[in-house]
Amino acid sequence: MRGLARLGPLWQPCLLLALLGLLVHNLANWESLFRLVQPDTRQVIYSRDSFSYLLWQHLALVGLAVVGSLMIGLSAAILVTRTRGRAFLPLVNQLASMGQTVPPVAVLALAVPVLGFGNPATVVALLIYGLFPIVRNGIAGLQGIDGAVLESARGMGMSAMQILWQVELPLAAKVILAGVRTSTTFAIATAAIGSTVGARTLGDPIISGLINGNNAYVIQGALLIGLLAISLDALFSAVDKWLPSTH
Amino acid sequence: MADSRSDSVLPLLSLAAILSVLLLDYGSVQANRIVAGVGHSLWSALGSGLATLLLLSLLAILVLNSLPNLSLLTKLKLARLKPHRYSKLYSYTLLLFLLLQMPFGLAWFAAIQIPESQPFARAAPGAGFWLLLFFSFLMLLELQRSTAHRHWLGLGIGLSTLAAWWLCLQLGWLDSLALVREYRSQQGPFKQALQSHLLLVGGTLLLSALLGGLLTALILNFRSLQSSVFALLNFLQTIPSIALFSLLIAPLSALSMQFPWLQSLGIRGIGWAPALIALVAYSLLPMVRNCTVALQQVSAEVLQSAQAMGMNRVQLFFQVRLPLALPVMIEGLRITCIQAIGLTAVAALIGTGGFGNFIFQGLGQAAMDLILLGALPIIALAMVADYLFSAAAKYWQPGVSHD
Repeated sequence: MRGLARLGPLWQPCLLLALLGLLVHNLANWESLFRLVQPDTRQVIYSRDSFSYLLWQHLALVGLAVVGSLMIGLSAAILVTRTRGRAFLPLVNQLASMGQTVPPVAVLALAVPVLGFGNPATVVALLIYGLFPIVRNGIAGLQGIDGAVLESARGMGMSAMQILWQVELPLAAKVILAGVRTSTTFAIATAAIGSTVGARTLGDPIISGLINGNNAYVIQGALLIGLLAISLDALFSAVDKWLPSTH
Repeated sequence: MADSRSDSVLPLLSLAAILSVLLLDYGSVQANRIVAGVGHSLWSALGSGLATLLLLSLLAILVLNSLPNLSLLTKLKLARLKPHRYSKLYSYTLLLFLLLQMPFGLAWFAAIQIPESQPFARAAPGAGFWLLLFFSFLMLLELQRSTAHRHWLGLGIGLSTLAAWWLCLQLGWLDSLALVREYRSQQGPFKQALQSHLLLVGGTLLLSALLGGLLTALILNFRSLQSSVFALLNFLQTIPSIALFSLLIAPLSALSMQFPWLQSLGIRGIGWAPALIALVAYSLLPMVRNCTVALQQVSAEVLQSAQAMGMNRVQLFFQVRLPLALPVMIEGLRITCIQAIGLTAVAALIGTGGFGNFIFQGLGQAAMDLILLGALPIIALAMVADYLFSAAAKYWQPGVSHD
């Protein structure tokens, strides 16, 4: 237990990720267990792709999309909170909050007529949808900083760039992180539905199980996706605790 | 006093609109449902007359709103350029024209580009059209920001645009539009999808309001429960929807095997039962969080003074606490409703029907128009729900009279 305590807030995500790794590598060996769910079917373990391949594929899609939304969304948030871009602030803010009312599955569906089937369409849909929470939280975080703090930073002779990197972004980090966390949660869930537009993800066993009436496949996919989402969320929660509180 | 910098938004948006209608296809024509469409530029889609008119109105918006930015000219005393007294009115009129011409333009496009010899050919709006719609909408938002009575104005413009589309549809002018063709062949299923979508969302709202109210009452009476209830609801919210739907299939089908009377109620492993359970589970977080926060934030002084006026507990709750908390509680309903509309679409995968059905069927057949027929109504439903609940929250804002 002392070892766990030394990991601090990280022990929870570490445990969950270890469990995820265990499941990914051993799910295929538990045939007799899944036989209970689906006694009459010849094959009860999803075998078109290995679970580890699907997990990495899922993670790659989510990772690419979230990094993309963070880069674009944060840049946009920074631009509209500078003096020169402030004219765009109300419009961008309003657009981001309206974007969040569009259901993610609709964004995914609309990406197909434009980009075709497969991984690129899924990544772009995840990226676009992920922008909204990051832009909103980015703007809220950067605007929530006490004006006196910025004034004193300027008084110390810091340049605009220094203020941005050494004062504003660190102070807004917690709020920005919350936006990234929301984006990631949506991305994991939507990437799973990406299986229907031809992306290879952990949603594959679920879709294939639903089409063929094989509940064992469905459970395998759902377990892994659920555990993936929970572990990453725990990881974000740990990082959030590790960041110094700004208020 | 208008800040000169704040006027750079509209010119930039109109410039973007001009570029997108010039550089991208305004529409495309398909010989039938499956073959790829042939793209048409603005000129060939609308004919030179309407195309010129459209470009000129965009250009006019650009110029009208850039005048105060051309400070160089003013400095050189070449001209005394001030924002025109009516520049906003003109911009509104031009935008209204841009929005209203859309259905007529598409009808005209179908009329001039679809040959009589091809009765099954369908016309579809292209990227240029969609971007023009998007940028016009943004310009409208930006114009509205600095206008009095903006809500009525926005409502008026929105309604007249809808009326124009309705008129063109009624007259049959848009019949060869791909989406209309698709709708006509799916009329029965479409009505059914709308019904089951609304039913599931409505059921979710009702159930989660009841359950959420109960949970909120529990939390308010037993403060120690608060953190554990929220931890549980947060946890539920993290699980991806498709996983939660799927994990409910096996236990529910086992239950209905065990108790046949459940089957007669329609409770099976797939269908509305797992969907409704999962939807309510997701809805509880926004519902309970907003209700709790709203009721807790009513200040103690207000409650004390109401008590001092001789109100009893019931009066205190219904006449003071609830009305003060109502807007935030309605906001919870808004989030719940929008979320449920999107998740119901995903639930089509486990056989609940609804608009998600068209999306997944369309994806399966690679029929893009069928995908649109599912996705666009979902977005429209979410927008309408957003508008209605926001309006309701504003209406019940305490301290606003409606005489």
